[in-house]
Amino acid sequence: MKRNNRNILNFKDTAKKLLILLVVFLCVDHLSFAQETTFDKHGGQLVFTATSDPRSFNPIIAKESSSSGVVGYLFEGLTKIDGITLEVLPSLAKSWEISRDGLTWIFHLRDDVLWSDGVPFSADDVVFTFNDLIYNDAIPSSARDIFTIDGKIFKVEKVDAHTVKFVLPIRFAPFLRSMATGIMPKHALKSSVDDRTFNFKWGIDTPVSEIVGTGPYLLELYQPGQRIILRANPLYWEKSDQGERLPFIDRIVFLIVQNQDVSLLKFLEGETDSCRVRGTDYALLKPLEKEKNFTVYDLGSESGNSFIVFNQNPRLNPKTGKPFVDPVKLSWFQNLEFRKAVAHVIDKKRIVEITMNNLGYPQYGTMNPNSGLFYNPNVIKYEYDLKKAKQILNSAGFIDRDGDGILEDKEGNVVEFNFFTNSNGAERIQIASIVRHDLEELGMRVNFLVLEFNNLVAKLIANYEWDAILIGLTGGIEPHFGKNVWVSDGQLHFWNPGQEKPATKWEARIDEIFSAAVQELDDKKRKPLYDEWQMIVSQELPVIYTVLGAGVSAVRNKFGNLKPSLHGGVFHNLEEIYVKEEYR
Amino acid sequence: MIKKGLSPFQMAMATFRKNRLAIACVGILAVLYGSAIFAGFLSPYSYDNENREFSYCPPMKVHVIDSDRKLTRPYVNQMNLSFDKFHKRIYTEDKTKSFPIHFFIKGDSYKVIGLVPSTRHFFGVKVPGRLHLWGADSRGRDLLSRLLWGARISLSIGLIGVSISFFFGLLIGGISGYYGGKIDNLIMRMCEMIMMIPGFYLMLALRAAVPTEFNSLQVYIAIIVIFSFIGWASLARVIRGMAISLKQREYVLAAKALGVSDIKIITTHILPHTISYSIVAVMLSIPGYIMGESALSFLGLGIQDPYASWGNLLSEAMGIIQIKFSPWILLPGFFIFLTIICFNIIGDALRDALDPTLKSEGQS
Amino acid sequence: MFKYIVKRILIAIPLLLGMSLLTFVLMQVTPGNFFDTLKLDPQVSPETIAHYERLYNLDKPLFQQYFHWLKNLVHLDFGYSFHYNAPVSKIISSRLFNTFILSLSSMLVAWLVAIPLGIIMAVNRNRFIDKFLSFLSFVSLSVPGFFLAILLLYFASKVGGLPLGGMQSVNFDQMNFFEKAIDIARHLVIPTIVISIGSVAGLQRIMRGNLLEVLRKQYILAARAKGLPENRVIYKHALRNAINPLITILGYHLSGLLSGAALIEIIFSWPGLGTVMLTAVRAKDLYLVMASMLMGGVLLFLGNLLADIMLMWVDPRIRYD
Repeated sequence: MKRNNRNILNFKDTAKKLLILLVVFLCVDHLSFAQETTFDKHGGQLVFTATSDPRSFNPIIAKESSSSGVVGYLFEGLTKIDGITLEVLPSLAKSWEISRDGLTWIFHLRDDVLWSDGVPFSADDVVFTFNDLIYNDAIPSSARDIFTIDGKIFKVEKVDAHTVKFVLPIRFAPFLRSMATGIMPKHALKSSVDDRTFNFKWGIDTPVSEIVGTGPYLLELYQPGQRIILRANPLYWEKSDQGERLPFIDRIVFLIVQNQDVSLLKFLEGETDSCRVRGTDYALLKPLEKEKNFTVYDLGSESGNSFIVFNQNPRLNPKTGKPFVDPVKLSWFQNLEFRKAVAHVIDKKRIVEITMNNLGYPQYGTMNPNSGLFYNPNVIKYEYDLKKAKQILNSAGFIDRDGDGILEDKEGNVVEFNFFTNSNGAERIQIASIVRHDLEELGMRVNFLVLEFNNLVAKLIANYEWDAILIGLTGGIEPHFGKNVWVSDGQLHFWNPGQEKPATKWEARIDEIFSAAVQELDDKKRKPLYDEWQMIVSQELPVIYTVLGAGVSAVRNKFGNLKPSLHGGVFHNLEEIYVKEEYR
Repeated sequence: MIKKGLSPFQMAMATFRKNRLAIACVGILAVLYGSAIFAGFLSPYSYDNENREFSYCPPMKVHVIDSDRKLTRPYVNQMNLSFDKFHKRIYTEDKTKSFPIHFFIKGDSYKVIGLVPSTRHFFGVKVPGRLHLWGADSRGRDLLSRLLWGARISLSIGLIGVSISFFFGLLIGGISGYYGGKIDNLIMRMCEMIMMIPGFYLMLALRAAVPTEFNSLQVYIAIIVIFSFIGWASLARVIRGMAISLKQREYVLAAKALGVSDIKIITTHILPHTISYSIVAVMLSIPGYIMGESALSFLGLGIQDPYASWGNLLSEAMGIIQIKFSPWILLPGFFIFLTIICFNIIGDALRDALDPTLKSEGQS
Repeated sequence: MFKYIVKRILIAIPLLLGMSLLTFVLMQVTPGNFFDTLKLDPQVSPETIAHYERLYNLDKPLFQQYFHWLKNLVHLDFGYSFHYNAPVSKIISSRLFNTFILSLSSMLVAWLVAIPLGIIMAVNRNRFIDKFLSFLSFVSLSVPGFFLAILLLYFASKVGGLPLGGMQSVNFDQMNFFEKAIDIARHLVIPTIVISIGSVAGLQRIMRGNLLEVLRKQYILAARAKGLPENRVIYKHALRNAINPLITILGYHLSGLLSGAALIEIIFSWPGLGTVMLTAVRAKDLYLVMASMLMGGVLLFLGNLLADIMLMWVDPRIRYD
């Protein structure tokens, strides 16, 4: 029947239309579904542990890591370092030019940066930071030495509101890297510089709104003995690759916990999000990874170094007229064979086993595998060998002449000296104890004392009343930033600081190396110089290295965009890290 | 036949002897102090003898059956150290290497009671074997040996410190109560001042006053002095109260009338009557000294490495990691506890025995 | 009563001053004085040193410095902490409260446990339960506090449910008042248990002794003869008289706790006076140490005064004139 046919046709037609509609509907639905998966990354919080209270919120004055660790998120420099590639990237400066002779640098500053109180950032702030703060003699800024070469400072000038000119006295290879130093707000601090109260400015009792920075976070709260809270800076200039406002995480909390066990427990029970894993903690934490939903990141060796140094300071104490170091002891410490023998009794393998449950590394030089390009793996390695050490000492005239088990030197003086370390680290005290034991096996009489940190530092850099000290320094990839330790007139040239002219040929050579390498802009040409420096150190042993810990962190699995790296740790890109949706 | 009556002291001792728990405690303390005196001989190793291959070695099993299923001289096997993938220590017993335990074996040198040098030890194994009956610490030092050597310091600090407090507390309290007046006032004010300072804080402050250059022996003496300084004040106060009431007694007045010197009166007539209280106070304060030393060592302010004291042995052990993976390290804590509880029980029993007013409590 | 309080305060003042003088001398006499260290540090500018010297007369002889400190004290200026770079009063004030609530809660718990236990022991004298509880009390008296603290921390971590260490949770500031109170209470649990265990032993023995002594008295005999049920005899008549003397101990107990809690505070990272004192002494932070000691002494004195006043209030036979 005709009517039927028409109906069938209509049906097919409708069906087709329906099918098309369905397909279109599904596509549309799929699109909106895709929209729903991109959630707003902003929000959430990240909880760290701090082992002690900060002592200041003033980055120029603050020296301890308890302060600088917090303050680092509040301020920024003209440049910043990429946590993975270690390249220098633009930060407050969006671009720069260098003159042909390498001495003049022009930085073009961003024009969209505001201080957290709304005042626009400008070249005035950069000029203020250098000329009024870093180079100000009345202010004990630790950065000053880095920016002073051969006694000459940089000329820092404002060209216009967003352009700054630096004129260097000589070429300075780490210049761009050093420009990561934080810039301070002129409008908030100028008055305190003028009335000479800057050194007390921004202490821990400062109202939080007064602390003004350009960085991704602001200080929101400091509860003494308990915690420090940072909140995201709503005026922060940086945007993600997708154009999103940064930082993503709303709050950063530092929980102050002195007791390492308690901080471990707090991590396990979920109160903190990240925790440093010592070698001894690893066996407790690692098996719980799946159950407690976190990840342990083993990022290779820590940067930094730990060493024993003997006091070779030959000078007289101006107050008493007597030498700083007993001349008898001085003759031992200045004797390379003596130091070589000591280097042979550092039982690195067992020290790593005992203090770190074998999660650590022996250290042979100031730069380590984590230090990147300038690490020299071919330095002299002194293996643990008590017999060899005894032989070296005997040949050098240190013999146990009267059979009492203690060595005497050529003049018959009993080899006895004091040995200090600081009280803050249980690991370090253990290492020092072990070394002490082995030195006594050798036949030396060692008076071991644990001193409070400030006291130890005062001995090292002020009153020079010490014989042997075990201490550690933080490290980095740029050798020049450690210059104060290695140049002969450096303040931190512990074994013989502040020399007017180099006391030995090898120290003179190191001075030359540092002077030449800093001016060499080509990394490939810098490397052989720094390699030579590390070799000299391992030959002349002004310091004797011990062991290095492993940089292991445990982090809760609630964060996205984590890019852990050897040099940056887990949170070097903190602004881009966000809390995953399911953990809100 | 006239029966000689018992003096109050003898009656007190009889009561004390009836308390079997207290007698047991006296026995335990005798063993502890005896072991401490002969620590050098009884321990297989010196306190400083370390072997890093035995770091955190667990207590070793002593076997008496050899591979042929026969009874033999007790022996231990070699323990081999390795780390698993979690960096946890694993010790495996190597049954192919065994070391028999010998008695009166030659070992580390020491001085018997600090005077006579000797190298004989009660028991031990021959090198290269190693004997750790109660395990080893982080450096591979024998825990049993360090416990015995540590006992010397921890147990003696209590006794010596308490003796000094006791001596000064009695004397000054007696003088203050007997003379009365301005002297009494001044001395009591001083006592109150010392007692007003929170004990722990005072201990910290005094410890900080000790120059850092002191070697361990000097620190040991300084700690004793610090504790005695804190301790004499409370004893003096009570003695003074007793002296005030005692000086009205007839025999005291008689002695005075006879012209006996004041000091003699105090020492022969007044103080002996305070003995019962004093002894109890002494017994009950020794635990405080032992705890104080452990607290100081725990904070790193007491006896330092390599010397052993129960306090610093315990401080090495106080960590979640240690409790979980090497619990034998906590033994010093148990010994501190044992010593303190013994002193407490003895002191309590002595008080019950010496103070007649409490006697009725024990009866029906 | 008022006159008595005033008299006590007047007597206490020279004692407290004496104590502060003692502390001052102790801190100054030791080598490694904070200021010498500061002066020698080449990184500290002469400006900073001059500032401190002006403020605290550091160039003047010691006793003048002490009097200067006393003068400032009258204005409630406790000096400056060099280690923390902040006025001492700011550092101490927050910690004082924290130590106080820890001590108070420990005391309350100790009493709530000790009194009933003491009663049980007295009523069941010489039976098994008495001997058993007596032995337990010896045990708890003899365990070193810090040892117990770590053990409890370990077991609590296995069991879960209670916060371990610290006084406030991470999100404390976002809680309302009620939630904050609960949060602090939860953090108090473990440290309180550790501290109160030591006190329970002593208290329960005293309770037991007192109750036994009262039960021997004539009026109890009379009450029993009258035919009163034993329960009423104990709880209505005997208990009140037995507890009275204990009230005097309240004050001593509290003040004893305030100093005794220091080590436990350190272990549990409880932000109290004890932790500050330890850091201050280690860093030889002079004014912080002196202020902490003074605060400790004042609290001790207040505790003792409270005890004596309560004794007077409770027992009309006692009058201190």
